[in-house]
Amino acid sequence: MSGENEAGAVGQSIPRLEVREKTTGRAQYIADMSSPGMLHGAILQSPYAHARILSYDVSEALAMPGVVDVLTGDDLGDGRMGAFIKDEHAIAKHKVRYVGEPVAAVAAETETIARRAVRLIQIEYEELAAVLTPDEGLANDAPIIHEHLDDYIKVFPAVCGGNLVSRTELSQGDLDKGFAEADFIVEGTYETPAQAHLAIEPCGALAEMDASGRVTLWSANQSVFRVQANVCESLGLPMSKLRSLTPRIGGGFGNKMEAHVQPIVVALAMRTGRPVKLILSREEDFECVRARHPMRVRCKTGVRNDGTLVARDVEVLLDCGAYGDDSPGVLGYSLLMARGPYNIPNVRSVGRLVYTNKMRFGAFRGFGSPKVNFAGETQIDEIAEHLDMDPIDLRLKNIVATGDTWMGGSVLASCGLRECIDAAREASNWDQRDLPQTPGKRRGMGVACAAHISGLLGTGAIVRVLEDGSVALNTGAVDIGQGSDTVLTQMCAEALQVPVDGVSVASPDTDGSPYNWGTTASRVTYTTGRAVVGAAAEVERQLRDHAAEMMECSQEDLELRPGGLIGIKGVPGKQVSFHEISLRAHWRAGGPIVGHHTWVFDQPTIDPKRAVAHGLPFPQIGVYSFAAFVVEVEVDEASGKADVTRAWMAVDVGRAINPGSVEGQMEGGFVQGMGFALTEEMVWDDARLINPSLLDYKVPTTLDTPHELHTIIIEAAEPDGPFGAKGVGEIGLVPVPAAIANAITDACNIRLTTLPMKPERVLNAMEQAAHGS
Amino acid sequence: MMTQTMIAPETLEDALAAMHAEPGSMALAGGATLVAMMNAGLVEPNSLVALRHVDTLRGTRQLDDGGIELGAMRRHRETALETPFKDGQTVLSYAASQIANPTVRNMGTLGGSIAFNDPGADYPAALVAANATILIVGATGTREVSAEAFFVDWYTTALEAGELVAGVRVPAALVGSIGHYEKLARIAGDFAVASVALQVTWSGDSIAAARIAIGGSGPTPLHLAEADDMLIGTGADSDALSKAGLLLAQAADPVDDVRASADYRRKVIPRLLAKAMREIAPAREAA
Amino acid sequence: MTEMVTLRVNGREHPCRAGIATTLLTVLRDQCELPGTKRGCNQGVCGACSVLVGGKPVRACLTLATDCEDREVTTIEGVGTPARPNAVQQALIDTGAVQCGFCTPGMVIAATALLEEHPDADIETIRQGLSSNLCRCSGYRKIVEAVSLAARRTAS
Repeated sequence: MSGENEAGAVGQSIPRLEVREKTTGRAQYIADMSSPGMLHGAILQSPYAHARILSYDVSEALAMPGVVDVLTGDDLGDGRMGAFIKDEHAIAKHKVRYVGEPVAAVAAETETIARRAVRLIQIEYEELAAVLTPDEGLANDAPIIHEHLDDYIKVFPAVCGGNLVSRTELSQGDLDKGFAEADFIVEGTYETPAQAHLAIEPCGALAEMDASGRVTLWSANQSVFRVQANVCESLGLPMSKLRSLTPRIGGGFGNKMEAHVQPIVVALAMRTGRPVKLILSREEDFECVRARHPMRVRCKTGVRNDGTLVARDVEVLLDCGAYGDDSPGVLGYSLLMARGPYNIPNVRSVGRLVYTNKMRFGAFRGFGSPKVNFAGETQIDEIAEHLDMDPIDLRLKNIVATGDTWMGGSVLASCGLRECIDAAREASNWDQRDLPQTPGKRRGMGVACAAHISGLLGTGAIVRVLEDGSVALNTGAVDIGQGSDTVLTQMCAEALQVPVDGVSVASPDTDGSPYNWGTTASRVTYTTGRAVVGAAAEVERQLRDHAAEMMECSQEDLELRPGGLIGIKGVPGKQVSFHEISLRAHWRAGGPIVGHHTWVFDQPTIDPKRAVAHGLPFPQIGVYSFAAFVVEVEVDEASGKADVTRAWMAVDVGRAINPGSVEGQMEGGFVQGMGFALTEEMVWDDARLINPSLLDYKVPTTLDTPHELHTIIIEAAEPDGPFGAKGVGEIGLVPVPAAIANAITDACNIRLTTLPMKPERVLNAMEQAAHGS
Repeated sequence: MMTQTMIAPETLEDALAAMHAEPGSMALAGGATLVAMMNAGLVEPNSLVALRHVDTLRGTRQLDDGGIELGAMRRHRETALETPFKDGQTVLSYAASQIANPTVRNMGTLGGSIAFNDPGADYPAALVAANATILIVGATGTREVSAEAFFVDWYTTALEAGELVAGVRVPAALVGSIGHYEKLARIAGDFAVASVALQVTWSGDSIAAARIAIGGSGPTPLHLAEADDMLIGTGADSDALSKAGLLLAQAADPVDDVRASADYRRKVIPRLLAKAMREIAPAREAA
Repeated sequence: MTEMVTLRVNGREHPCRAGIATTLLTVLRDQCELPGTKRGCNQGVCGACSVLVGGKPVRACLTLATDCEDREVTTIEGVGTPARPNAVQQALIDTGAVQCGFCTPGMVIAATALLEEHPDADIETIRQGLSSNLCRCSGYRKIVEAVSLAARRTAS
């Protein structure tokens, strides 16, 4: 389809639809909402990592003036939620499994009263031995965190037992033969820490019940449908009894995909019969929502002397935390990405996911890939060094291209990786680089490549034509700030050749929106975009039916004309407007025009002729975007502190529906990845998180971030993507740690295998290198 | 429940009287530290004495001998400006310009900051390097304590109950001396992992006078006259710097925390000292 | 114990109730019906609660309501409207710098104060000036460019 719709459709960097309300403080987020007669909620958090709950005494809290209700696990049934394994109650029941877990909640007339009242709740515990690392969890005599794991409902063929939540294995080719063919092998173990999402908006929810007992729930979320499912599963409610909606969302990055406090808030609202709002403090948000998994990756690659990669063996150990959440998916996805974007014929990736007595770990931008990418892409540089080959040339020799297969066997219908590499190489002046040298500093440049899917699960769209010819779009996709409302509207406008401001976009509502699994997996542009294009095509067909009857001509003679018109080809003046058609449809013939399209990504992840998989939680996954990043760093010799000074990010997004938004995703992903690479880590002292505040957990500021962030958009159109588009939400983060690590190696001749690459680690490695030589 | 009142007196005498009348009351300066602690539930004062209207705490006085008296309510933003500092006194403006971020520097005050003696804060080492004196007022009168004696232990100062920091006197620095504050932090605006505050005077190619204080590496700023002496008479060559640096590192008493390990802090002290000397080279050439 | 205080916010008087630990942020959001000022950390770090007091940017979460009685407070709602955004807001709109929007009110306040003081701010001055405010979506570059655009537009 052409991009000539001048009113700002596909391919144009139009401003966000809601940007005026956001810049002027009028946007409404969950904490800004209220309802008449509303109560305020607060949670009490577990002081123990692992303990049996023996008894509750809530009398003192209940007696406090202004307190209306106290909720504990005893008040609820045995309903359990979980995206992959149903292992989590709405609030701790029988046991607590991590320090900070919500163990009781209060609803009171004010937030201050609620927060004071939770401190009056007395709980008697029997402390149990705790499991603090996956290695401890796998030990023979380890305390068992979920005694009934075998009985839990699982939505995939999980290989589990004891504290092992899931073991997944993927393989293709013949690993032994591959390593036998190799001229040399490089091997390493890589460790990455927990990272906090740190959306600037903390999580919260507001629920109220109507006279019929039906609940309406507003919350900070990435999927109104996942919220609905989690609340209903954990509270034993039929989905028909819960309506889930969304206000504006202040960022997510994975943190708001599955449940946080919504089940607790719904339970309080149902028990009190009054609206209840609960907003987590920043510290609570750190301690009890979710974070990126700590991970250990062992990676071994076999190479021929000409640079051909012939074998790779990857083993992953993932800290699940106390509850399954999205972790089995993160494990499976990391294994799928462990080969990297290279044609390595013999590959095995195997991983284990282990319960520990820490907060649950879950989805976070990259979904397991940044960690295996850090291992694999720094290893590629090690190989290049061994071969005395340019790391970019080594990559080019091995990369996948259109028509090749991904690990597992799915065919790449589009791949612009070579173009990405060439563009980043040229823009960064890689081949003739002459880095400025400052006394006391060392500069270096590094490269890394990545791929990321966009896809997964069910999606729908409904497009309606209103009486005056305006178009109403409804998808159920939550815009968490990344700009999907705007991009989907641009696609709808383009498909129907109407101006963007002639299309309204509905706020997701489980009562009225078609199902959308969620704003996750870099999927909304691609999957929901396809649904929008399909629904718009259905609307166009209905419009044409009317137009043919109104102008007494055949369908084939008609064409869509810009501005909401259908005309007869070759006859400029002969046309009817959407307005005229819609009036006819509403009042005289055919009925109001409604088009809908739903679909689910259905191409198999695994081609059984090429690969074997055990315990993989997603039989269908998605299409692939690609990226190549070049990063320049400057390392301070005195302290070992590394700063990124410049970066070039080339990304194949198929088609940039809104190029400005693509840049925004790339730049934001880069800086979040830079934090992961250099400074961010959640630190536990024994079982207690010791930096759950912004005073102690630091994310980059303007001054820590390079202003020279160059995004280069490559468009290798995906044949079945909407207007050729693929996803861009996560890929901007994925290769950042590896690219920075490779640049530090270039600068200082050291190789780090543990994140974050904080000054202490860099300096120690520099000293070791100096002593070794 | 306690009385919980906020009083905003206009004179120092009234402020002290109010603090005396209400045991458990606390002085509110800019709020940057105190209110953050109140929000975190770390302190719950029964009453607050806001010092915003006490004009005598706001002024800056140039003394005849080249010294400067800074009022306790002077905001970091004002201290970050190089005026009125001369010569090595600028160690204070360099330190102030690296506290937190511009908005917090617009709120936080000199007195409010030092009264907490957060070891990661930027003023303590700078005040010690500047050989400053802390001016204290209390119900029974005024007293003066050297910066070195003022910072007593982790989060503990020489302030007695009912006393306030009235201000700081920064003595004249040697003519031609250079002030510098070298801070290492995880990201911009964080508390220091470690810092080096110094005043150095050159005479030709050698150091005529030096005063070095280390921050972020123990309960109080670290100043060793022996370390200063090791540099005097040298050309700040790497040998002299590493000797002085090692002495300081050995004497430091850092802890492991989320910012860095104690080992790293010890390791980085000599390196920061050397870096600081390199950083002031242009100023030295200009002088 | 709470007492009545009258705050002057965006040119209007707001009678409010506040205890000694009640912050300006809480009062603005809960009593003045001005929820544009956001609570991100309540520790003065993130900057989402930035407002102008006496024309200078401060953290509303570190400012006690009772300490503001005689001071003029300006919030995001007072610096521009959807129909009449100020120069910073207009530049943010035009450059696509805004993503989730939660940090935006604080950024607008910080940038507005910065340009008030440095109308010809260059990129480095803007980066310094905005270092008070965390954004987790944008990577900052587009926000810095937007403020630079606002400065250039205002100058011409």
